[in-house]
Amino acid sequence: MPGPPPLPFAALPVFWLIGSQLVVAALVLAAGRRRPRSAVIVSAGALAAAFGWLAAQVGTITSGGVVVEHLTWVPHLGVSLDLRLDGLALIMGMVVTGAGALITLYSGAYFKWGPPTARFVGYLTAFAASMLGIVVSDNLYGLFVFWELTTITSYLLIGFEDEKGSARAAALQALLVTGVGGLAMLGGLVLLAQQAGTSSLAALLADPPGGTVTTVALLLVLAGAFTKSAQVPFHFWLPGAMAAPTPASAYLHSATMVKAGVFLLARISPAFHTIPFWTPLVVGIGLTTMILGAWRALRQHDLKLLLAYGTVSQLGLLTALFGMGTPAAVYAGVAMLLAHALFKAPLFLVVGAIDKQTHCRDIRLLDGLARRMPGALAVALAAGLSMAGVLPLFGFVAKEAAFEALLARSPWLLALVAASSALTVAYTARALWGAFGRKPVSAQADLVGAKAGGTPLFLLLPAALPAALGLAFGLLPGLAAPLLEATVGTAGAGALKLWPGLKPALGVSAATLLAGLLLFARRDAVERLQRAGHRRLLAKWAPTGEGIYRRALAGLNRSADRVTAVVQSGSLPVYLGIILLTVILLPGSALVLGTALPRVDFGGHWAQFLTGGVVAAAALAILRVRRRMAAVVLLGAVGYGMAGLFIVYGAPDLALTQLLIETLGIVIFALVLFRLPPYFREARWRLGRALRLGVSAAVGLFVTGAALAVGTASRPPPVSAYFNENALSAGGGRNVVNVILTDFRALDTLGEITVVATAAIGIAGLVTGAVRSRRKRQEP
Amino acid sequence: MKHRPSLIAQTGLRIVFHTLVVLSVYLLAAGHNAPGGGFIGGLVVGAALTLVWAVDGPQRLRATLPLPTFTVIGLGLLAAAAAGTIAWAQGRPFFEAVAFGLDLPLFGKVKLTSVFLFDAGVYLVVMGMVLGILVNLGEEVEA
Amino acid sequence: MNPFLAVVVGVLYAVGTYLVLQRLLTRVIIGLGLIAHGANLLLLLSGGDPGEPPLADAAGVVSGASDPLPQAMVLTAIVITFAVTAFLLALAYRDWHDTRSDEVEDDLEDRRIAALAAREGRR
Repeated sequence: MPGPPPLPFAALPVFWLIGSQLVVAALVLAAGRRRPRSAVIVSAGALAAAFGWLAAQVGTITSGGVVVEHLTWVPHLGVSLDLRLDGLALIMGMVVTGAGALITLYSGAYFKWGPPTARFVGYLTAFAASMLGIVVSDNLYGLFVFWELTTITSYLLIGFEDEKGSARAAALQALLVTGVGGLAMLGGLVLLAQQAGTSSLAALLADPPGGTVTTVALLLVLAGAFTKSAQVPFHFWLPGAMAAPTPASAYLHSATMVKAGVFLLARISPAFHTIPFWTPLVVGIGLTTMILGAWRALRQHDLKLLLAYGTVSQLGLLTALFGMGTPAAVYAGVAMLLAHALFKAPLFLVVGAIDKQTHCRDIRLLDGLARRMPGALAVALAAGLSMAGVLPLFGFVAKEAAFEALLARSPWLLALVAASSALTVAYTARALWGAFGRKPVSAQADLVGAKAGGTPLFLLLPAALPAALGLAFGLLPGLAAPLLEATVGTAGAGALKLWPGLKPALGVSAATLLAGLLLFARRDAVERLQRAGHRRLLAKWAPTGEGIYRRALAGLNRSADRVTAVVQSGSLPVYLGIILLTVILLPGSALVLGTALPRVDFGGHWAQFLTGGVVAAAALAILRVRRRMAAVVLLGAVGYGMAGLFIVYGAPDLALTQLLIETLGIVIFALVLFRLPPYFREARWRLGRALRLGVSAAVGLFVTGAALAVGTASRPPPVSAYFNENALSAGGGRNVVNVILTDFRALDTLGEITVVATAAIGIAGLVTGAVRSRRKRQEP
Repeated sequence: MKHRPSLIAQTGLRIVFHTLVVLSVYLLAAGHNAPGGGFIGGLVVGAALTLVWAVDGPQRLRATLPLPTFTVIGLGLLAAAAAGTIAWAQGRPFFEAVAFGLDLPLFGKVKLTSVFLFDAGVYLVVMGMVLGILVNLGEEVEA
Repeated sequence: MNPFLAVVVGVLYAVGTYLVLQRLLTRVIIGLGLIAHGANLLLLLSGGDPGEPPLADAAGVVSGASDPLPQAMVLTAIVITFAVTAFLLALAYRDWHDTRSDEVEDDLEDRRIAALAAREGRR
């Protein structure tokens, strides 16, 4: 595949956008332990710089440009680092870097500038790099690599408080669920690339393939997107992920990583939404998730869990919008995505601040914080009202756009989304009241919060900025509109208006607001109904995703135990015997059944019979000798015979190497055997002598057969023709073997000398260890 | 076991050792066009070192080494890897052959290729391995 | 394909396997050496008939030569086998140094794990 001309690294800004974050993450993790303040400043600075660079591209992108970069990686497999910054990537990238910079600052204060700060900030920055990679990847395989990197960094962050068993379990659960989805997605991406004949995402979307294979591929890709974005039935990992420190929850599990799935949908849906199964499946799953998440948010008492189920619900709405795939729906979806980042992250950050000040997140116990933490209240109100979709905040504007898009499709869809909006209003009210309201004095619990201090600046400011931006975008939707239009590509796909006029959508908004407040006012009755419904129906009948996950994990462990119990005998000959028998039975039977009788030809130089005969005879003689040194000398004879065969075969390099190695080898054998007793001691064998003879003979027969079959099989023209032709012209050498080693296959050779170096290190370790243990024995 | 060097062997060694070292460098340099190369050259110099070990003993071998074993191996790996990155840094595929001129004070202009650098790395690693075996196993067994 | 050399490969593998299936580490090492020789020969045979050394003339043309690719593979295989053999010998020496035996004992830890797994699996 002829690529565009390569560029020097310095001229690759998008590459460095990711690379610089990785460098900073490595730096912070390596050297930041003692200097938490510098770690926070460097990380936040790098993310802010990335945000600044992206902001500088707004002009280019909104006027229809894209920034494209190519870096070849494994060109023969179509794997390359193709980076493409377009409207959608730009808006996601700004969310990732902007939220990243603010939340990094917040984490400094959250961890009280202590030793965990640097580790946390390092992971966070590494995550930001991976997430940026997802956003700008134009290559399917590159996309997958970054996708999995976010899974890994998410694992590290959820399990950050690794002394807690519950945090480790939650991290593992998130890793396994999203990891399995990621594997399915990899399968889907490979199939897609095969079908389309390209691994470039842009090329794939410009000319989407069809057919059954594509359908299967898309289903697999959807599995990846659904697990990542916590869609039913995989949603359970996201509330579990709340075991992460709150800044990570705000960043990964609300603002960015969980958006990766819907982001992918937004990318591919416009090209594939016309396939019959697509819309019913994706929109159906999305709407189910939306309702279920909102419903369950309504009965949470932990503020973080409440917000997490809210996120599940919002992700469901985004999935549905992007699943429709029409420009108007995608437009509204991107607006919702931006609005969600602007309101959900501040809410999480406020919850983190409350948690820090009161050590409590239970809405039944928090009391009177409105007076104690007025700054936090202001931020929470601005963000919460946006979440509830109240005029004049950006959440309202985005929701109106979504309503318009849904209404154009079907009133039923609108009705469902409106119902979920009412639930959203209700759980928002529940969260705000729960965090800041006054609670009736209850007998069984002590209220907390009366003694909380104010909110430290660094815990407040990072939350206040996006909340303020939500207000600004709400009042002046024209600020955000050009960017949103750039994501869809066509102007006029949708419109953002602060005052939409007296249209049906506005009426729906007003109705959902009223219904939501009503639900909140009767919250005790709603809670009773929920609990009863859960006990009677769901707990008994519905197999939850979480239950299936638990059972699958337990079953896997049990079957692994059983296999181990049977196979693991502890005896090396038995292990080797099992492996060899497998070789004889599986490829061996294929050899017997599947190949024709070989062509027999006793031609060739007479010397090969002589040297070959020496080799075989010397090898057989080893079986008879009892002296160690004699066995070594015979092994040397085999080696010299091999050198003779190499000469006959026209391989002087091999002959030279073999002669030298054999000589050095005998010296080294002698070195060691000098210390050991001269005779082999007959020992008790676990495997009987007859059995060993049988296995060995079978292996010998199998290899002889394989050698003959190789000689008979029809083969493609050898690659060596290429090596022969290009040795002098491309490799600059006349010894083709050496040119292969040092040029054509130099990477292999590099790997091989690394093995050699490793062996040398191992030898030194074994010997110095022996010296040390001897000294210890002599000293005491 | 005390090492008792033999005079004849020591005199012979003086002649053979230098010949072998020169031969090994020749094999390394000529290897791209004739049988030879880094692996073979490294083994030949390894054989020369084995002779030193056999005649003069491991202590003497260790004393005459200009560099510690792992420095030799490390330099070899570094040289081989660096040879690969030269082309890469110029934006071409990893390990593509690159020729470059060097202005040395005594030799004047010398044409070097990244391939030679790579093969020299192989030479050093193989030599370092043999050296490591002799220094470690050899000394231990004599002790 | 010369069936004689195919048989030689088979003999190398058979004797090597027989030695590897025992417990004396030095014998296992010798067995591995034989198997490595067999593998090298097999690789060389798979390159087709013997020929002249693969050296290009001044014009860069190679004619009547044997296949160079298996040769390159075998060359590195020989060196790696040497390094690994030396490592195994150091291991055998260390075993002898510490235990006065170069016999590969059953791995008791493996057996304990198997027993533990059997208990867990029944639960």
